[in-house]
Amino acid sequence: MNISLNWLREFVDWTGTPEELATLLTRTGLEVGNIATRGADFPKVVIAQILEATQHPNADRLSVCRVDDGSGHPRQIVCGAKNFKVGDKVPLALPGAVLPGDFKIKVGKLRGVESEGMLCSAKELSLAADADGLLILPADAPVGQPIATLFPPETAFEIEITPNRPDWLSHVGIAREVAAFTNQPLKWTRPAAPQTTEYAGRIGNLERCPFYTLQRITGVKVGPSPDWLRQRLESVGLRSINNVVDVTNFVMLEIGQPLHAFDAAKVNGDVQVRLAGEGEKFLALDGREYTLSADDLVIADSARSLALAGVMGGEESGVTETTTEILLESAIFQTSGVRRTGRRLDLHSDSSYRFERGIDPAGVLAASARATQLILELAGGTVAGSAEVSGTEPQAPSPVALRQGKVNAVLGLELTAEEIASALSGLGLTAKEVSEIATTWGIPSHRLDLTREVDLVEEVARVVGIDRIPSKVSANPAEPTKADASYDFQIRVRGRLAGLGLSEARTSTLVSPASVWSEAEAIKLKNPLGEDQSFLRSSLIPGLLAAVERNLRYGAASVALFEIGRTFHARGREESPTLAIALTGQSRASSWRDGAAKPFDWWNLKGIIAALIPVELEWKKADAQGDLALVSTVSANGKTLGLIGQLSPAAARKLDARESVLVAEIDLSALQSIPASPVYREIPKYPATTRDIAIVVPATLPYGEIEKTLLAVREPLLVDIEPFDVFSDATGAKLAADRKSVAISLTFRAPERTLNSDEVTASVSRLRDKLKADLGAEFRE
Amino acid sequence: MEAEIASLQAAALAEIETVGDRSSLDAFKVKYLGKQGEITKLSEGMRHVAKEDRPRFGKALNELRQSVTSRVEEREQALASQADAEALSRVDISLPGIPAEQGALHPLTHLLDRAVRIFRRLGFAVAEGPDIEDEWHCFDALNTPPDHPARNEQDTFYLPDGRLLRTHTSTVQIRVMENQAPPVRIVAPGAAYRRDEVDATHLAQFTQMEGLYVDRNVSVADLKGTTEYFFRQLFGSETEVRFRPHFFPFTEPSYEIDIRAKSLGGKWMELAGCGMVDPAVFEAICQKRGDRAFDPDVVSGFAFGFGLDRLAMNLAQVPDIRMLVENDLRFLKQFSAL
Repeated sequence: MNISLNWLREFVDWTGTPEELATLLTRTGLEVGNIATRGADFPKVVIAQILEATQHPNADRLSVCRVDDGSGHPRQIVCGAKNFKVGDKVPLALPGAVLPGDFKIKVGKLRGVESEGMLCSAKELSLAADADGLLILPADAPVGQPIATLFPPETAFEIEITPNRPDWLSHVGIAREVAAFTNQPLKWTRPAAPQTTEYAGRIGNLERCPFYTLQRITGVKVGPSPDWLRQRLESVGLRSINNVVDVTNFVMLEIGQPLHAFDAAKVNGDVQVRLAGEGEKFLALDGREYTLSADDLVIADSARSLALAGVMGGEESGVTETTTEILLESAIFQTSGVRRTGRRLDLHSDSSYRFERGIDPAGVLAASARATQLILELAGGTVAGSAEVSGTEPQAPSPVALRQGKVNAVLGLELTAEEIASALSGLGLTAKEVSEIATTWGIPSHRLDLTREVDLVEEVARVVGIDRIPSKVSANPAEPTKADASYDFQIRVRGRLAGLGLSEARTSTLVSPASVWSEAEAIKLKNPLGEDQSFLRSSLIPGLLAAVERNLRYGAASVALFEIGRTFHARGREESPTLAIALTGQSRASSWRDGAAKPFDWWNLKGIIAALIPVELEWKKADAQGDLALVSTVSANGKTLGLIGQLSPAAARKLDARESVLVAEIDLSALQSIPASPVYREIPKYPATTRDIAIVVPATLPYGEIEKTLLAVREPLLVDIEPFDVFSDATGAKLAADRKSVAISLTFRAPERTLNSDEVTASVSRLRDKLKADLGAEFRE
Repeated sequence: MEAEIASLQAAALAEIETVGDRSSLDAFKVKYLGKQGEITKLSEGMRHVAKEDRPRFGKALNELRQSVTSRVEEREQALASQADAEALSRVDISLPGIPAEQGALHPLTHLLDRAVRIFRRLGFAVAEGPDIEDEWHCFDALNTPPDHPARNEQDTFYLPDGRLLRTHTSTVQIRVMENQAPPVRIVAPGAAYRRDEVDATHLAQFTQMEGLYVDRNVSVADLKGTTEYFFRQLFGSETEVRFRPHFFPFTEPSYEIDIRAKSLGGKWMELAGCGMVDPAVFEAICQKRGDRAFDPDVVSGFAFGFGLDRLAMNLAQVPDIRMLVENDLRFLKQFSAL
């Protein structure tokens, strides 16, 4: 909402600067946005008339003018503009004036001719962004008067009003708050209610419209509004329409009650307040046709709807140049009903904005009286009969009891009963019953928000100000929670992965259907912003792959990303903390020492997972799924933790990847549940013995089978098996093409003694026999 | 015999001076000290020496062997250090290092973790709640009227079953109080969602941090002190903190917190919302719990919440909030500092 400082000053004295007022309003709880100043308020800039203009003797482009500044002594001014003629009235900046940009006007010589001031353009007075020549003023402008008389200074505040304070939605409402916070009187009294007569049967739905009034005025002459009214409306960004409509808007902005004027000639029969027919069409003032529902309240005559109650008038029943008789509506409509209609039709107005938040019941008839008086003043006419009143004026809010002790307990202060009383009285509350412990306060009709004790506590807090409340900081240990443990765990995982060279990504929870591998297992939104954000992710991998693709497109040579986040599942645990990894490109950059770069491959990823999870891991090949052509599950202690996979070459190419793309996804809860047992294990005292063997096996035999075969022998001294070379030759030159050679390092150790060569040899020989027997392995010596 | 020893000694000691490398030294060792070496040969001559002269000759021979051996060792050491020096002199320490690949934590993680650590210093525990919530936890229990615009399908993401994606992490307040009697002292970082079109300063999904302290005698003074402490720890002790009265359905009195700090560019920045937990929230909890553990006449509390994304943006001077979710490595790697 926009508030005009000049308008506000009609209701409360304010001598400070606009900025100081903004600070005060902020302190009351209003959020002040832009402060716009208009007009020309420059001391020593006056209206002057050009009496004579001659060519400057030394400069082609300059003129020497004699101007009347109202002092009786014509001044000589040198001027560069050409757009004036003798007799024009123009702004004159006298010596001593300061124009925008800290431009000080002095007496000086221009090309040898003295100039006693400066004639101004609109731009020089900040009245326009650009200007061509002098600002030519109206012929009737009073010479010698300050320029501000023609361009009165105006400051407008853009104010954001919280939904709990509808009473702030008017100039009187803001003035009331300024008065309370500055201990000034409010210079406004509520206009007396007009004469009324009961009009029964008009309201068809008392819940949606508890109180409705109509005032008939005849013989009005619709025409343009006077300047003062036009300026008031324009100062807060409203367009002037005609004197009658402008009055209704003016009164709304003045005291907060929305009003509507119907052209009585266009109303057929009786005015009714009723629910619309389902599917009923309504042509609103904005020129658009709306299809109404049976939940929309309308003002109707015997033939059709005249207005959407509290939202907008109708195109066909509004006041126009030809209107001579009007029906002035002032009413209360139910907040939630207006809100529903506005939302359903996506139609919002200054009127609905106020009705949605709540209306001061005491203002309904007052506003009617105020508008009637202004219409009579500006458009003539006469009041025809009393205001017709239907329904009942809602009761003022009930009194609220406030315990002094409660105020101090909530605020952390020790206010006296007098201080509390003074704060609340200033806001217009009245003490009804006073006791040692509590006071019962009468609530003014405009404060619909004050219904509970805590509401009054807040009022005291606002008036007293938070600066008076001391700051207290204390450290009280809370019991650690499960969330603490998982937070700490996740931070450790993040740190370790970053240490392993991976960077942390954060991708969106909302993903496209293409990012969901199984729609049946995924959770869909009812009202997504778009198809591409219509599912909750069931895996982090698609999001990470999108990040991989983006980085590759930017030319990244190496992409190593991880993300820790929630995944969402239609079956099983709905939200699970999950870790995912994606790798592609260089795992090792090329260097002068190591030669060419090495790309990430399956075994890099396995190595990262092993470094992350320092327990014995079991890997099991799994079926390809989606874009993952190679898949292996990873488990620990028989419990599945997740999977690792390699993208099919086709899928990798789609990401612009030239190397393998590897991904992993791990269930963080499962990972966290692996018991961490940092308990000392004895460090071997005796040396180990290592023997290398090299075997030739079918090229398709997985290494895992070899290891399994070796372990099956259960050699008690064998403590480690490590492959150190895998060789095959597709050409068949060095080795048959369907065979491969695997070199394995076997480590033996006994915990209590040094091994002797013979027992190791015997053990190796048993292992070799087993490999030969089970796998048909041949040995390369 | 003695003359032979003396001349051998002289010859050996003279020769070793000429030995310039490892292999000549080995040859020298064989020549003099080896099994068939000169000194050994001379020792074999002992057999022909008269018995009474043997100790004398033995001693002389021994001295000969020792003096040669010791010179050999000296020479060996000299050669070794010479070789070491040569080897080291060939190390070009000016070549560039082999890069050790260093990852980075996301800037939001950095900020979030700093925030958590500050609150833990004050004894707050971490709490969490689900992203998928019901209306009761997201709105009803937080004293939000049934026709409040926030419940609108234009503003909030709904699931077909009527549940929703939480619009704020304040839901965690409710989750915690349902399950834990006072005192409650928690912070809850997490995702929240609003149906906003994404632009340079808005994401449909954002990160918030919620705080709640409920106990006997908690007042605005605690709220003020705690939030001031937090923001000064986060942005520096010179940070100015300003509380503006505001309105939230779930707190009263309510404030918005503005911050001005050098680390945030020296301009006032609207950062957080906070207030004293509204008695209606406590009543909703009591009703749900079926007890009076959160009787608003017995306990009081404060709550606060702030968005981390814009804060991370401002701290790191990131011009567009979308960079936080684009995961460009050239961006992420800028935050690998310790």
